[in-house]
Amino acid sequence: MIKRPFLGWFVSPAGLAALGLTAAMAAVFQFSMRTYIPGSLDVGGFTLQNFAAMLRPLYAFAFWNTILLCFETAAFTLILAFPLAYALVRTRSSAVRSFILIAAVTPLFLGEVVRTYSWMIVLGNNGFLNTLLVKLGLVERPVQMMFTAGGVIAALVHVTMPIMVIMLAAGLSHIDRNCEKAAESLGAGPIRVFLTITLPLSMPGIVAGFSTAFAWTFSAFATPQLIGGGRVSTVSTLIYQLGFSSFNFPFAASLSIIGLALSLAVIALLKQATRPLERLASAT
Amino acid sequence: MLMHTDRTAATAGSEAGRQGQPAVQLDGVTKRYGESIALHEAWLKIRPAEFMTLLGPSGCGKTTLLNLVAGFLEADGGEIFIEGTLVTETPAHQREIGIVFQNYALFPHMSVANNIAYGLKTRGIGRKEIARRVDEALALVRLDGFSDRKPRQLSGGQQQRVALARALVIKPKVLLLDEPFSALDKNLRGSMQVELKQIQRELGVTTIFVTHDQGEALSMSDRIAVMSAGRIRQIAAPGDVYCRPADRFVASFVGNVNVLTGRLVERRGEAATVSVGKMRLEVPAAPLAKLAVGDDVDVFIRPEHLAVTPGTAPGSLRGTVTTQVFQGDHIDLYIEIAGVARAPVLLRAPGIAALSSCPAGAEVGLIVGSDDVVAFPPEARES
Amino acid sequence: MKRSPANIALRWSGRILVSAILLFVLLPGIVVAVTAFNDRAILAFPPQAWSLRWFWRAFSYSDFGRGFWNGLTVTLWASSIALVIGAAFAIAIHRYNFVLKSLLEGILLSPLIIPHYTIGLGVLILASQAGTGRGFPLVILTHVLLVLPFVMRSTFISLENLDSRLELAASSLGATPGRILLTVTIPLLLPGLLSGWLFAAILSFNEFTATLFVSSQATQTLPVAMYNYVREFADPTLAALSVIYIAVTALLLSFANAFLGLGKILNVDAH
Repeated sequence: MIKRPFLGWFVSPAGLAALGLTAAMAAVFQFSMRTYIPGSLDVGGFTLQNFAAMLRPLYAFAFWNTILLCFETAAFTLILAFPLAYALVRTRSSAVRSFILIAAVTPLFLGEVVRTYSWMIVLGNNGFLNTLLVKLGLVERPVQMMFTAGGVIAALVHVTMPIMVIMLAAGLSHIDRNCEKAAESLGAGPIRVFLTITLPLSMPGIVAGFSTAFAWTFSAFATPQLIGGGRVSTVSTLIYQLGFSSFNFPFAASLSIIGLALSLAVIALLKQATRPLERLASAT
Repeated sequence: MLMHTDRTAATAGSEAGRQGQPAVQLDGVTKRYGESIALHEAWLKIRPAEFMTLLGPSGCGKTTLLNLVAGFLEADGGEIFIEGTLVTETPAHQREIGIVFQNYALFPHMSVANNIAYGLKTRGIGRKEIARRVDEALALVRLDGFSDRKPRQLSGGQQQRVALARALVIKPKVLLLDEPFSALDKNLRGSMQVELKQIQRELGVTTIFVTHDQGEALSMSDRIAVMSAGRIRQIAAPGDVYCRPADRFVASFVGNVNVLTGRLVERRGEAATVSVGKMRLEVPAAPLAKLAVGDDVDVFIRPEHLAVTPGTAPGSLRGTVTTQVFQGDHIDLYIEIAGVARAPVLLRAPGIAALSSCPAGAEVGLIVGSDDVVAFPPEARES
Repeated sequence: MKRSPANIALRWSGRILVSAILLFVLLPGIVVAVTAFNDRAILAFPPQAWSLRWFWRAFSYSDFGRGFWNGLTVTLWASSIALVIGAAFAIAIHRYNFVLKSLLEGILLSPLIIPHYTIGLGVLILASQAGTGRGFPLVILTHVLLVLPFVMRSTFISLENLDSRLELAASSLGATPGRILLTVTIPLLLPGLLSGWLFAAILSFNEFTATLFVSSQATQTLPVAMYNYVREFADPTLAALSVIYIAVTALLLSFANAFLGLGKILNVDAH
């Protein structure tokens, strides 16, 4: 009897894809240790010079800046996405449910360019927000929102909202409602039920959502490039500049490698750091 | 046991409520979901320390009723009282009820001790007092030494004990049990039933128990409320529900029953006489009030109330054995009775004698050996 | 539990909060939609005069037309290839144990966390070293890698919901493994496969960062063309294009929601 029919057929295409991906990553890794020959697409011998250069303040600052940006974005996204996910999972009206689902999920499929562009119209000096503020008499002249970190974060929060909502909602939908009812019957009011039962039980979804938002923000390019306008430098914008303005692919590759390592480290740390949070509830 | 002192304290507090006041009272409580009525004007009074079972098939409204008492649902009409206090609009967390769910709903992120302590913490009780009462509760459900375990490290039976301890430790005014045994295997179920009943009696806690299992309901309850299609059909002690069902639904839902076609012969006050073939039977008259003498009736007879009689005793029914089924301590005989029963009649013959005396194909006589026979109008006429 | 004043207050503040957040989510779309009908050639709000001219320009601008067809070519190829690879692999990891199973799974899911520009850069370096140009195969390969995780996830969820006894029943009735696969497994997985394909297609059509690295002038997709346009012009053409974009996407998703159940696909339905 054949116990695993078609195993080869099922796995080998995936194996090829994995091989391709691995080769691409290996190529980045290999390039990161090559010498840059200015004015040429070819690369020189092996060196660690690229990594040493990263200690320069300009690059160290870009890394720090990117990580900060990612944290702020993920945190704001979490705060805004949670109520939405909660409403999505808990509403009894299927019309409200469908509306929230479509509204929350559609932006996920619009791509970074369309969404960033729409934020440019919202944040611009003649844009929606400034016109509104001036008309309402809240400010005399337009507030500079384009080309600021705040503007970039607002747009990035919007970019990461859908995936956060989906992950939080998936977590929330797996919570046993009877646990909340039991807590209620034991004398806990709505806020206490939320803090001691719902929130701790949705921790896996929160961690997953936060990590993903962090990773997506780290990966975002169009938003910091267009809304930051070169004044908000992140790892992604640097890599693009290095690659396509000066064709310094070795250095772009080494930035990628360090960037990847950093974001993986932060995500791993997040998972570690949030573990005690799950235990928190039992202590209160 | 350990909880004894607490019990006197708890009962002293509600002593006023004992003066004839029901522990739980529902006055015409109605619940709708859009068009459909989940619960139709339920009237129910539960006595202090009583074990009241809500019995019925799924969708009959029993869980809705439980959720209304708990405060998880809002009534569309009627009032609910707990120990004489109107609670219809009281939020669940202020009703002081304990509840055990079918899936137990233990807080997965908390230890056993913290699960049990949860209700005490919400009441702002001191740390030492909490520790003492958690230990007591663990002892009550015989789980001493399990306080640091997480729920997922416990067996189904142990989880149920924790859920029970968690609900009881707050000294609830009412204990609500939502099909708590259905997730347990058969052997464990039996012993947990005995244990729960023991604890309930010992603490004297008023209990509402929801189940679809008639065996469970008959064996554990002080009284049973049989429900169907959002209505309470009968509220009575288990024996009365079984022997004097109020309507055909109760008669057929609780226990096995044979339905035979008969005729109303005579009515005298409380009692009436019906005939089934040549047999004459005394039945309660109340359900037949709308019928005239000579009308058709459906006669409900329990399998164990039928007996096989040798020869042709006067007033017996004659039938043919179609199947016999060996059940260990008794034999189930299926007997075809022409003109009286549409399906073969089930008869429970004690012992194993019937195995040889009533083989398939044999002609036998049948008599009814009990007064607990009821009759109802035929299905079409009862609405 | 809802009648006490505190609870009513809590409920209403919750509703207001959720509405405000929804407004934040929808605001850019609304603003873009209004801007698209602005007659003037600068991004100003609110529009002084109305016109449809930017829609005509969006349709007539040749880079967008080319980008659209390029994007469609890449999307159809990439999502279909990813569907075959991903679905087969998902079935294999759901059913079988084999060497390197978790390693393979980890590698194929890694594009979920590896920045897209890193993958784009890697494929680009690989291509330049192999001496192949930046043609369609390169873009398609990149997209396959990027959307594979989504197809795998979608298929896997459907497999979890599939009653494996149905396959055993088919087998007991004499069906060969191949016949079971074609007559039982795949038909039952079809909604999951379809939604996986749809997700992959939408994501691929919108992919930008990695595509920027691996595409050339001849193979650039619509998002890349749009990005280049923003950098050169500041008129509302892109707003008009965005409106079409948003409308088509919302339509596709409503379709998916009505016929396949978006909640189920995304695994957010309450249990």
